[in-house]
Amino acid sequence: MTTTTYQPGEIQGLIKINASKCKGCDACKQFCPTHAIHGASGAVHSIDEDKCLSCGQCLINCPFSAIEETHSALETVIKKLADKNTTVVGIIAPAVRVAIGEEFGLGTGELVTGKLYGAMNQAGFKIFDCNFAADLTIMEEGSEFIHRLHANVKGEANAGPLPQFTSCCPGWVRYLETRYPALLPNLSTAKSPQQMAGAVAKTYGAKVYQMQPENIFTVSVMPCTSKKLEASRPEFNSAWQYHQEHGGNSPSYQDIDAVLTTREMAQLLKMLDIDLANTEEYQGDSLFSEYTGAGTIFGTTGGVMEAALRTAHKVLTGTEMAKLEFEPVRGLKGVKSASVSLFDTELNQDVTVNVAVVHDMGNNIEPVLRDVMAGTSPYHFIEVMNCAGGCVNGGGQPIEGKGSSWLGNI
Amino acid sequence: MNKKKHLFAEDSFFLSRRKFMAVGAAFVAALAIPIGWFTCKLERRNEYIKARSQGLYKDDSLAKTRVSHANPAVEKYYKEFGGEPLGHMSHELLHTHFVDRTKLNS
Repeated sequence: MTTTTYQPGEIQGLIKINASKCKGCDACKQFCPTHAIHGASGAVHSIDEDKCLSCGQCLINCPFSAIEETHSALETVIKKLADKNTTVVGIIAPAVRVAIGEEFGLGTGELVTGKLYGAMNQAGFKIFDCNFAADLTIMEEGSEFIHRLHANVKGEANAGPLPQFTSCCPGWVRYLETRYPALLPNLSTAKSPQQMAGAVAKTYGAKVYQMQPENIFTVSVMPCTSKKLEASRPEFNSAWQYHQEHGGNSPSYQDIDAVLTTREMAQLLKMLDIDLANTEEYQGDSLFSEYTGAGTIFGTTGGVMEAALRTAHKVLTGTEMAKLEFEPVRGLKGVKSASVSLFDTELNQDVTVNVAVVHDMGNNIEPVLRDVMAGTSPYHFIEVMNCAGGCVNGGGQPIEGKGSSWLGNI
Repeated sequence: MNKKKHLFAEDSFFLSRRKFMAVGAAFVAALAIPIGWFTCKLERRNEYIKARSQGLYKDDSLAKTRVSHANPAVEKYYKEFGGEPLGHMSHELLHTHFVDRTKLNS
């Protein structure tokens, strides 16, 4: 028996260094949040799979394009799209819509939601915006936070611990799971939007689409490589469990069948000769493409917190926030914090909620966690994203400098 | 005749002032390139991160609805299927548990 940080069935060693391309330049080590990359300067480097979070930051920052993914669902997805008996649901993450245009010659950061819907519709996908699931996440995670806050103020036994951490980022979740298991109770139990989307698409969605859940194939399009690992976690077959309890009888299937990165979706569209830049805009085909501004900002650092505060304010005070833009959690500072004072109608008293937002996790999280473990953390709610800038700069996003990264193969 | 009488060992190593400067400059330049790369890469990284974030904030400001609890589709989901946040169905479908990965064996 050997120790491992993977459960059976999980994708292991997703990110790999191609030894024939690696120049040993050490650039990747600067971007690795867990110091999982070994090898002397000038010698070929390798990745310690047990420490690796699969975040892909090394991959998008390698000057020699020497770092690769070992798993791609591209071919499977193309086969499923051609299969008439299968409904392929495309679940689109927030950060994809402001990056995929870059692969088709559009400007950096150009918002292309309608065109992306159009291109994916043309390819044969049903449109399920992950922003809809992000809105669900806020309902669940926000309610959980308010529940914990009230239970703690009232001194109830079994009140979940504060601060509550967000649980949307699979790199961050795996970081806590591999290094700080004592802090796992602080994580919100809400699933990430990707996993909520998968579970909903194959339960409620099966009714909406009037399809058998076994014939629904969910493909999430993510700015993230770690989402592939998340989707492979064995416990994420809730839809199958739900149907088993309701008389279903089929072999187990995952809530998310396949994950494509933004880069892979661009590749798929190109293989099918669909030019996203010149595609007609499309509005979507069901209620699953209805989303709010709060859901869409999940893709940038501070966005989850801002969205949660908008809803928490309404629930606690009964009124909407006067100004929805919450500037203190925006921008690229490593750790951002803010205090929000409001009148809590249920407790009938004023409460002050201290929140913090952490991104570029490898460089910023340790001091925050030390305070939490020492019991001296001033915060009640902390958003953590692994990648610098949040998902917009995820490991699955288009690489600046087009494909060959900074230098090409010398 | 001025016949050369001595051979200087130093001759073979001789580097003119001009050449010394050139070699020195090339050496410094070679050192500076990776540093230059790296800072430039980081600056560019900030630029594209900012541009993509701006895209999302634009999406937010254009949105008809800007708060999750007012999403009509979310309301419909809870009404027709999900019940209420933190309810029984949410527990089954929308919440999870975490794994202590320091204690796993294969």
